[in-house]
Amino acid sequence: MINRRITILGPEGTNIYVIFQYLIFCVISWFTLFNITNEIGLDIQNVLVRQITFTLIGLIVFFLFTYVSISNIFGLSYVLMVSSTILLIGVLFTEESLGARRRYDLGVFDFQPSEFTKIAFVIFLASIISQKRNNLFAIALIFSNILLIYSQPDLGTTIILLSVVLGMYFISDVKMKTLFAFLITLFISFFILLEFDLVSAFQVQRITDFYSAEIQDFSQRQSRLQISLGGFLGDSASNTENISIFVPVQTTDFIFSSFAKSFGFIGCVALLFFWVFFGFRIYSLIITTDSQFEKFLLAGFMILLYLQILINIATVVGLIPLTGDPFPLLSLGGSSIIAVSSIFGIINRIFIENNQVI
Amino acid sequence: MFSKFRLNIIFIIFAIFLSLIFRELFILQIINTDENTQDIVNQNFETYYIPAPRGEIIDINGNKLAQSLLEPYLFLNLKKINEENKTVYKQFISFNFNELTNTEIDNFFNSNELFVEIVNLNDYQTDLRIKIQDYEAFEIFNQPKRLYIYKELFSHVIGYVGKPNQEELIEYSNAFGNKIVGKNGLERYYENILSGKPSEITLQNGEIIDITPAIPGQDIQITIDVNAQEVVKESLQQGIVLANKSFETVNLIERGAVVVQKIDTGEITAMVSLPDFDPNQFVSGISEFEFKKLNRTQAFNNFAIQGLYPPGSVFKVVAYWLAVNEGIFPEEASNSGQYVNCEGSLSFGFDDGSKQVYQDWKPEGHGKVNLSEALKQSCNVYFWDIALKIWRTFGNTDSEAMLQEYSKKLGFSSMSNIDLPFEREGVIPDRQLFEDWKISKPELVRPEGWLGGDLMNLIIGQGAITTTPIQVSNAYRTLMTGIKSNPYLYYENSDLNEENINISSEFVNFLLDDLNLVTNPGGTAYRSFQVMGDLTYDIGGKTGTAQNAGDLNNTSWFVGVDSISNPEYLIVTVVEEGGSGSAVAAPVSRRIIQYLLEESLTPVEFGEITE
Repeated sequence: MINRRITILGPEGTNIYVIFQYLIFCVISWFTLFNITNEIGLDIQNVLVRQITFTLIGLIVFFLFTYVSISNIFGLSYVLMVSSTILLIGVLFTEESLGARRRYDLGVFDFQPSEFTKIAFVIFLASIISQKRNNLFAIALIFSNILLIYSQPDLGTTIILLSVVLGMYFISDVKMKTLFAFLITLFISFFILLEFDLVSAFQVQRITDFYSAEIQDFSQRQSRLQISLGGFLGDSASNTENISIFVPVQTTDFIFSSFAKSFGFIGCVALLFFWVFFGFRIYSLIITTDSQFEKFLLAGFMILLYLQILINIATVVGLIPLTGDPFPLLSLGGSSIIAVSSIFGIINRIFIENNQVI
Repeated sequence: MFSKFRLNIIFIIFAIFLSLIFRELFILQIINTDENTQDIVNQNFETYYIPAPRGEIIDINGNKLAQSLLEPYLFLNLKKINEENKTVYKQFISFNFNELTNTEIDNFFNSNELFVEIVNLNDYQTDLRIKIQDYEAFEIFNQPKRLYIYKELFSHVIGYVGKPNQEELIEYSNAFGNKIVGKNGLERYYENILSGKPSEITLQNGEIIDITPAIPGQDIQITIDVNAQEVVKESLQQGIVLANKSFETVNLIERGAVVVQKIDTGEITAMVSLPDFDPNQFVSGISEFEFKKLNRTQAFNNFAIQGLYPPGSVFKVVAYWLAVNEGIFPEEASNSGQYVNCEGSLSFGFDDGSKQVYQDWKPEGHGKVNLSEALKQSCNVYFWDIALKIWRTFGNTDSEAMLQEYSKKLGFSSMSNIDLPFEREGVIPDRQLFEDWKISKPELVRPEGWLGGDLMNLIIGQGAITTTPIQVSNAYRTLMTGIKSNPYLYYENSDLNEENINISSEFVNFLLDDLNLVTNPGGTAYRSFQVMGDLTYDIGGKTGTAQNAGDLNNTSWFVGVDSISNPEYLIVTVVEEGGSGSAVAAPVSRRIIQYLLEESLTPVEFGEITE
């Protein structure tokens, strides 16, 4: 292992790109939130103040992770996965809010353990796939976490985690036969759950409604209208003030709708361009790095982040039924921002370790 | 092992997904933008608000004083009423709710609101709710109802709520949706804390499409003690009855106020103003007749903070403090211990050659008095001598307003800033004020303006001076602690504006000892406190009898302190036109002190007539 000197941007070998990209996403989020509330205040209830505070905490987390070497993370994979399981069990004993038990109330902000699970999940999978250690305990851990999140209930995160498992095994040299078997098992277990009424009727109805009738969910129709308002250049200044529109959770799950309204088609293209560009940088790093663990880690994070983004936008524009996932770094929310900051921190670390240092 | 080929497949899947999204965004933002904007304009969303429950008001021991109960109300969705079904609904309402008159029912249907409130369903049998389900224009919403548990007891402290007027709608953003706003008392002062965010019902073409739940207001715990408040009110009522029995007055004696304040913190333990009213009347709307009746007796005034009275002899402590601090004593005395002779009147001449004779309230005089004796016996002559000394030494110089400066330091002529609305500040007259009044209120002042006699009046709390009971209480508290701060009712109120006044502990002991003399043999309030036996050795106070203009009876004042060795509470009692302070206000305070000392209560009985 090489000892790296510490510079102002992090350990020696730091490339300014990742931190720069990270900050761009954060600032976009601030502008979007400001456009929604249109007020500047200093109290902790103000969404902009909250988001900036979360970003600052996220920035600290980002830098902390750039100092943790990848071999340490590799060593911690079991610890992380077990603590994620404990947190997910604990959250089942919290007070129910809005029909679900998802968060620990920490006073000023709520901690959602499922955000932590996402990271632990990718690290753990990368470690067992790269070592080819698919033992029973590991498989049990993975599925217990998925089941625990499903029982919160949180269908959106369940789907994302299942897709991450599938995706990460898919890019390893697992036989296609095995993957198909896995998929078929999933389908069968879904119908078994349905048979025993373990899927909430509400969720099933949402899916069947979406595909049977041509009418989308009310809030999705509203968010589509709101996106239209943005036009090509965005409407920050146009005369649409007295229009009543009804988009729920504008600052979190539906934030892309407000973003699209404020910054228009051109803004959407710019935002997605940044993400695509970031994706290509990660892709080339996956190809160049020698470590199998790093390859799977990066690929796992990439699947996780891009899946969330694609699902979020697809929901907001009404392509798929409502799931309720935040948009990474754009949505308001402490847990999500800190989780994504840690991912960016780890990715930055991999960039650093792959830089040649004399 | 890692497979680049399969990673590329995932990339391709993502790319396809992304292009579908771009296609959708392109359709929405570029092709359909105008059409969709038009759709939004045609959406016709309407919002109806259901009030949020207000926060509860709790006393210092956790007793609920005011609460908001959620009760089911029947509402009629007017958007669903058309010419065809109108008669059906009218019949249903008049059949089931007999007490509603036909005009009331017609008014429901003519309202231009989205919903109209019909009745509180708690007043009807539950099987009615099943019938209601068959009528789609009926909705049941839970709506809070404010309940003042102790009725009249807290009418002035807590105040009441009512329909917001134009200014209140602008000032309080939630008032529109809550349909009520704090009108007076704590309900007004802490409107922003107590009121919650109303529930929002969104409708599109008459159909409810969304309901945002209300956010209830925050509870507040106040420093008032219900039991003390009850005793205080009883005592004051007894005092008023006693005053009516004892004096032949032009008007019925019916007004008075008491403030019980904790000396160390400044918090208010009890505050009563009479006459009072039941604030619950305002919740369901008060009749004009009732309102006028209450208004005529000035029941809406909280005399504890709004009653402006000349303080009479209770004001003498200001001069007392000044005398000790500045070393200003009557001509023949050089310190507070030296005696001067009080012959019952004071004759004196001024520089302009005029000569005047002032009569003490006790024609035969108080005999030999020093500062302590003068306070104990409430000797006017001694204090007039001090005023003369000030006038002769400093008249027409900058220091001439020395007494006024001392009064203002104790908080007179400015609001105490207690956390209650509509407080009044009273007046401390001086030369400048008299000059102003010559123009604005010429009927109140002589053409000569400010004279020595005015200062002599002021020093014994008479003349143009006016004060409120809370000011007097807070001034005594300042003299006993050396700290001037805002009195308060809300426990978590942090903004007390503390200000240190230079007062030595020696002075405090001196003052307390002299206040103690007042309730003991030879003191003006002894007769009222006699029933307490040996306990009077540790109690103190100051009587006050302020003369009013015309035929009006005197204003009766008493400032009491519950203990000399360990002073905890100040009790300020005022009975408007109640006569002598030592006769009426002192026994009222005595009964309250009995409660505070956990002694058995004895009825309020006539003391003696002094000043």
